[in-house]
Amino acid sequence: MLSVEVAGLKLENPVALASGILGSKKSSLVEIAKFAGAVVTKSVGIEKREGYKNPCVINQKCGVINAVGLASPGAKVFSEELKEISIKKPLIVSLFAPNPENFALLVDYFPFASAFELNLSCPHAKKLGMSIGVDEKAVESCVKAVKDATDKPVFAKLTPNVTDITKIGLAAEKGGADAVVAVNTLKAISIDIYSKKAVLSNIVGGISGKAIKSIALRCVWDLYEVLDIPIIGCGGISNWIDVLEFIMAGASFVQIGSAFYNSLRTIEGIVKSLEDYLYSKNERVKDLIGVAHGGV
Amino acid sequence: MEVYNLYCLSVKKVKKFNNIAIIEFDREIRGYPGQFIMLNVFGFEEIPLSLSSPKTITVKNVGKTTNRVVNTKEGDVFGIRGPFGRPFSYPDVEKIYLIAGGIGIAPLNYLYEYFKDEIEVIAIHGVKTKEELIYDYPEVATEDGSVGFRGNAVELFLKLADFKEEFRVYSCGPKPMLLSLYKIMKKLGKLESLEVSLENYMRCGIGLCGSCVTESGARVCRDGPTFKGTDVSEKDFI
Repeated sequence: MLSVEVAGLKLENPVALASGILGSKKSSLVEIAKFAGAVVTKSVGIEKREGYKNPCVINQKCGVINAVGLASPGAKVFSEELKEISIKKPLIVSLFAPNPENFALLVDYFPFASAFELNLSCPHAKKLGMSIGVDEKAVESCVKAVKDATDKPVFAKLTPNVTDITKIGLAAEKGGADAVVAVNTLKAISIDIYSKKAVLSNIVGGISGKAIKSIALRCVWDLYEVLDIPIIGCGGISNWIDVLEFIMAGASFVQIGSAFYNSLRTIEGIVKSLEDYLYSKNERVKDLIGVAHGGV
Repeated sequence: MEVYNLYCLSVKKVKKFNNIAIIEFDREIRGYPGQFIMLNVFGFEEIPLSLSSPKTITVKNVGKTTNRVVNTKEGDVFGIRGPFGRPFSYPDVEKIYLIAGGIGIAPLNYLYEYFKDEIEVIAIHGVKTKEELIYDYPEVATEDGSVGFRGNAVELFLKLADFKEEFRVYSCGPKPMLLSLYKIMKKLGKLESLEVSLENYMRCGIGLCGSCVTESGARVCRDGPTFKGTDVSEKDFI
């Protein structure tokens, strides 16, 4: 009832952990994988990166603004952390790099990965993430480089900070991506009126959480209209109704991040409610993907 | 989602020791023992610090930002968010032991002040040498024997405690110390009367970034920093 399959990856339920949240330690991934359909690690690059100074994450009424700055221990150390992980769910390793060559090099560090997700969308790291993800040609060549380097599924995580996300989605598809993930955070800032300064040390961050749900949903909808490859929905999903909205808009499964603010077991509750609903309607997730677009 | 807005407090009094300072703000911060705040040191970083009483933080100089904090002057203004995290649980017994190692005294001092007039509170502070004793507790242990009991806080606790009695133990300090205490309480079958406050490298403070996750998979900033003995395991202290 809940199971879905994307690019050969079998998920027992359509709710996965999004990259960047609680994904830098083996222990939290194991804990979350108990209930999630899949888990995506924190993005990793070849070299170690410190990330930005605190404050780098601030929460607001409807969302979270972060500029962690792709803090990462580097591929070698991170692969050591993860290599003995024992989870029964697909482990998707998120990668960041400044160019196609470096993206391709990262693959060999993670032989145990079930799939790779390319971070082409982090909005606050210079020359990384979104700097590449706004350029159709760069997206295509990065995806192609990783596809050439591995037989595993490759997902491209897209940025909504573009005029037309479908152009970037089509570029990823042309590069050979097995699916796209839509979307990463939207560029945002916050100002402290007492100190009269921007709150984040990096000034600009990316906003996630409830504030962006409807925007992310629209991105999934637009991509579903033009792409042949599957779409993985992400952005502000915090309950089972949101999950169904994304699936009906065209997502094959979804990822959840900021909603972990509520509890480490957020996904457990969402999946249970989803299961109850589908049982009462006698429906299956895979039959609901994109249904809102209407029949032919 | 609760919003933790930044607010500013100014420093009313500073009690400075060698590389440690007890900093008193001009107003109380509404919280409970065991909780921590994010202190925004303007021009430096935002760092997590335990409350050592409703009005104070107790800080040790361990880097650039804490150096600035320890050398603060009266009237200086800091940005504050929080308090965050799960406080220590209410002791449903008549006697509690507080076992502090080094700067781990900070959250336990708040607990001490909170309960000292209601129940019997025995605070044990273990330090390397007497210069690090910043509070006036009767039970102190120094590693060099310069004052009080020669040894560490856990050894002194073992000397003082009567395990036939009913009591609870609250502890905060270096991981090796917490580990030895954990092993002892486990051996005695008393893990349910143990509570520890853990400290891990922390970034966001709201349970999302994953920097402070323990080996058991719990988030120190949100599921902790206080943990029941039954909710942790030996690997969390390594």
